Amino acid sequence: MKDYDAIVIGAGNGGLSAALTLARNGLKVLILERHNIPGGSATSFCRGRFEFEVALHQLSGMGTAEKPGPLRGLLARLGVLGDVEFTEMADLYRVFIPDKIDITLPANRAQIIDTLRENFPLEGEAIVKFFDVVYRYAMELYTFFKNPEPSRERFPLLHRYAFKSAGEVLDEFFKDPLLKAVPGAYWGYIGLTPNRLPFSYLAMLFFSYIEFRPCHIKGGSQALSNALANRFMANGGTIRYNCKVKRIVVKNGKVEGIITENDEEITSFHVVSNASKVSTYVELLEPEHVPGDIFTEMAGRTPSPSGFNVYLGLDCEPQDLGITVSTNFILPDEDLSDKHFSRMHQLSTENNLVAFSCYDVADPDFSPEGACQAALVTLKYTEPWLQVPPHQYAGFKYECADYMINRMELLCPNVRAHIEEVEVGTPLTFMRYLGSPRGAIYGFEQYNKDSLFFEAPRVSPIKGLYTAGGWVTDCGFEPTLKSGASAAGAVMRAMKE
Amino acid sequence: MKEELIQGFDGYKDILDEIRVCKKYGVDYTLEKGAVEKCINRLHPKRLRLQVSDIIKETESAASFRLVSKEGYLPPFQAGQYISILIETGGIRTSRPYSISSPPNQTGYYEITVRRVENGLVSGFLLDHVKRGDVLEFSGPHGLFHYNPLFHDKIMVCIAGGSGITPFMSMIREVVDCGLDRKIYLFYGNRTSTNVIFHEKLLNLSEKCHNINYIPVIEMPENGYAGPRGLITGSLINESIGDTKGKTFYLCGPQAMYDFCIRELEHLNVPARKIRKEVYGVPMNISQQPGWPEGIKEDQVFQVKLNGGRTFPATAGQPLLIAFERNGFNVPSRCRSGQCSMCRVKLMSGKVFQPSGTPVRRSDRQFGYVHSCVSYPIEPVELLI
Repeated sequence: MKDYDAIVIGAGNGGLSAALTLARNGLKVLILERHNIPGGSATSFCRGRFEFEVALHQLSGMGTAEKPGPLRGLLARLGVLGDVEFTEMADLYRVFIPDKIDITLPANRAQIIDTLRENFPLEGEAIVKFFDVVYRYAMELYTFFKNPEPSRERFPLLHRYAFKSAGEVLDEFFKDPLLKAVPGAYWGYIGLTPNRLPFSYLAMLFFSYIEFRPCHIKGGSQALSNALANRFMANGGTIRYNCKVKRIVVKNGKVEGIITENDEEITSFHVVSNASKVSTYVELLEPEHVPGDIFTEMAGRTPSPSGFNVYLGLDCEPQDLGITVSTNFILPDEDLSDKHFSRMHQLSTENNLVAFSCYDVADPDFSPEGACQAALVTLKYTEPWLQVPPHQYAGFKYECADYMINRMELLCPNVRAHIEEVEVGTPLTFMRYLGSPRGAIYGFEQYNKDSLFFEAPRVSPIKGLYTAGGWVTDCGFEPTLKSGASAAGAVMRAMKE
Repeated sequence: MKEELIQGFDGYKDILDEIRVCKKYGVDYTLEKGAVEKCINRLHPKRLRLQVSDIIKETESAASFRLVSKEGYLPPFQAGQYISILIETGGIRTSRPYSISSPPNQTGYYEITVRRVENGLVSGFLLDHVKRGDVLEFSGPHGLFHYNPLFHDKIMVCIAGGSGITPFMSMIREVVDCGLDRKIYLFYGNRTSTNVIFHEKLLNLSEKCHNINYIPVIEMPENGYAGPRGLITGSLINESIGDTKGKTFYLCGPQAMYDFCIRELEHLNVPARKIRKEVYGVPMNISQQPGWPEGIKEDQVFQVKLNGGRTFPATAGQPLLIAFERNGFNVPSRCRSGQCSMCRVKLMSGKVFQPSGTPVRRSDRQFGYVHSCVSYPIEPVELLI
C-alpha cells in the first residue's frame, strides 16, 4: 500500500492541472511545491500598492461561452471556470517602429486585413492571400492527425509549409520589410525570431488569437493558479508548500515515490514531474536509473531564452500616457531576425525590442484606482548574465532596465514622471524562481526539428514517471495546462493496466 | 505513426538530418547538475553561516556585530537591505531581520547593529550571550528599502527614528566611501540625547563631507540642549532642505514616526511616489488599528488548528507566526512585517485581522492566503502551512 495514488512535483500550470484532473477522478493525490505559493511562472508579486503580473500576457484559446475555445473547455472540465473571471482584449497588438510605422491589429481577421491594406496598399492582394493561407493552414493542422486519409491532396498547405520558417513564408508573400515585421512581431511568444520560428506556430498564434480573442484574468495569472489549487483541495487533494523534492525513488526501473529535502520518504507508484525535464532527469533521479537515450534525445534540444523584465507601477491612468492597446511591440527597426537574434545573446538591452503590456487597458481594475502598470519584456539568453561578477549585478540590472524605460518613452514620453514602483527581473531572477536550466522561460526551443511534429515522447522509460509543463510541450498557458491533463490521462491509463 | 504521416511533407529529410546532427553534437545536460543552485547562491543564498569577528559597543543599549563568512564569500547587497538571523533561544526557533549597517563596498564583512528591545527575545540573546567567534545562521540579504537609480532622486532626505538609523548608516557610508554623486539629508529622531546610535560617527562624516547633512532631533532633551527638539516636523524639514522637489524621502523607524512624518510630508506637497518607507515590524497595539473588530480584546484566546491536526491556543493580540513558533511549528519568515510574503499560509476556516495596507495579492484575499506575521486570530481558525 502506497501513501498516495500519485505525487505531483511542482504546482505550476502543468502540475496543477495534472493533480486536479487526477483528484477529480477520485484519486488520492499529493502536490509538493518548494515555494509557499502555487503557480510557478503563473504568479504575481506585490510592490507598494501594485500587484505585478509575472508571466501571462495574452491567454489563448478561451473564446466565449457561445463560441468556446479549447482552453475554456479544459477549464470547465477542471471545474474552475466559475472560480475565475476573464477579460477580453479588443486588439492583438500595436507595432511601433520609430519614424516608420505605428499600426494596431484588431482581434478580427477582416479588420486586420483592412488595417494592413490601408498601410501597405501595394500589397493588398498578398495580405488577403497570406491570411487565407494562415487560416487554411491552421484548419489543416487541427484536423490532420484525426484524418484517416492525410494525403497531400487533402492537406496541401501542411505538406508545403509545415517545415518552413515563418520568415520564409513572410518572404514568399510580402515585399516590404516593414509589412513583414508587423505579423512577424508575434514571434516573441514562442521565443524564436521569425527566420527560426516554425510557420506552424505563427499560423496557430494568429488563428487562435483572432478566433478566440486574447484574454486575461481578473487578479492575474495567480488567480487561476489559486483557483486550481483550491479546487484540487476541495476534491480531497493535499498540497504541501515549502516542500522541495530531493529525489525520485526508483527501484527496478519503476517509480516507488519521492524523498523530500527533509529526508521524508513518501511513496507512490506514479510521479508526475512539473519540474523542468532537465532537472527531473539530472537533479531528481540517480544517474543509474536514467537510460542514456534520455540524454541523447535531450542533447538535440537547446534551452529557450530567458527574459529581462521591468515592472512599472505608475500613478496615472493608461490614457494619461497615451496607452490605448494592451500589448505593444516597440521595435528598433524592421529586422527581426539575425540582427535581433544577436542582440538576444548580448547583455545590454540598449535599443532592444521591447514588448510592453498594460493590462489596465482591458481591465480597469487591474491596478488601484488612478494607477496602472506596465510590464516591459525583452527576451534574452542567460549566458552573458552568468559572466557578471555578483557585486556588479545590481548595476547592470539598473542600466539595462533604464534602456528598457527609454524604449517605452518613445511611445509614452511622460512615463518617467509617473513611476511609483519599479521591479526588475533578469534572466538570473527567472533562474532563481523557476530553477530552470539557464533561466529558460519557454522550456526547450521550438525550431522545426522540435516542433509539434517531432515532439519527444512524454512517456518516460522509467515506469510510473510522467512529465508535464513547458519542457515537454509547446510553451504558454494553454499548452502547459493541457500537458498536465494529458499526463494525468497517462497516469490513469497506466493504473488500469 | 506520426512519422508515417509527415514523411511526405516538403523538407522532411532535411529535418531528420538536422535532428541526427543535433543529437550527436548537442548539449550535454548531465553537466547542468547543480549549476542553477551554484549560480544563484552567488547572489541569493538561502542560508549564510556567519562568524562574529567583532562586537563593537555603540551605546549603553546597542552594539554592532561584525560578521564574516565561514566560507569566505559574502553575497553583495544594496545599502539599506537586511539579513535575517535564524536562531533558537529559550526553546523557540525564530528569526529577526536586521538592516546591514556596513556599506556594500565593504565586501569583507557585514555589520548589523542591534539595540536592546524591552523584553526582546532575540536582541537580549545577541547582546547578552553572543560572543566573538560564535557562528550564527542568517538568510541572504533582502529588502526593498534602498536607493533605486531608475526613479529615485540624487538628493535623498532620510528620516530615521531610534534603531531605524541602521539602513541609513549603510547608505551614508557607501556614498562617502565611494564618492557617489548624491546628497543626503539625515533627520535622526531620538527620545533623549543619550544613547543616540552612531551620533559621533555621523557628526564626523557630516563635518568632513559637504554632501552629508546630519540633523539630530531630540524629542525630550535635557536642559541646555541646543539642537532641534521635539518631533521631525515639516517646518524643520523645510528649513533644512528648502524646496521638496527633486528629492526622494526615505523613512525608517517606528509606526508613530511614520504616522506623524508622512502627514508632515503631505503638507509639504511631497507626492506619495517620492516617499519610501521601510517596514519596521508590526504595530504596537494592534487593537488600536483601523478596522480592528469591535468587541475583540487583545488577550482573548482562540484555538488554532494546523494542517487538520494539532490544535493550540493563540491570543488575538499576537501574530499567528509567533503562535506557530511558540508551539514548535517552523514556518519560514523573513521581514516579519507583512511585506516579503515568506510566511504566507492558507486560512481554511475562521477569520484573521490583517492591518490595512498589507501587500497581499488580490486572489490571495479571495482564496484565503494570509501573511502570518501580520495576521491576528479573531475567531477560531484552521490553517494550512
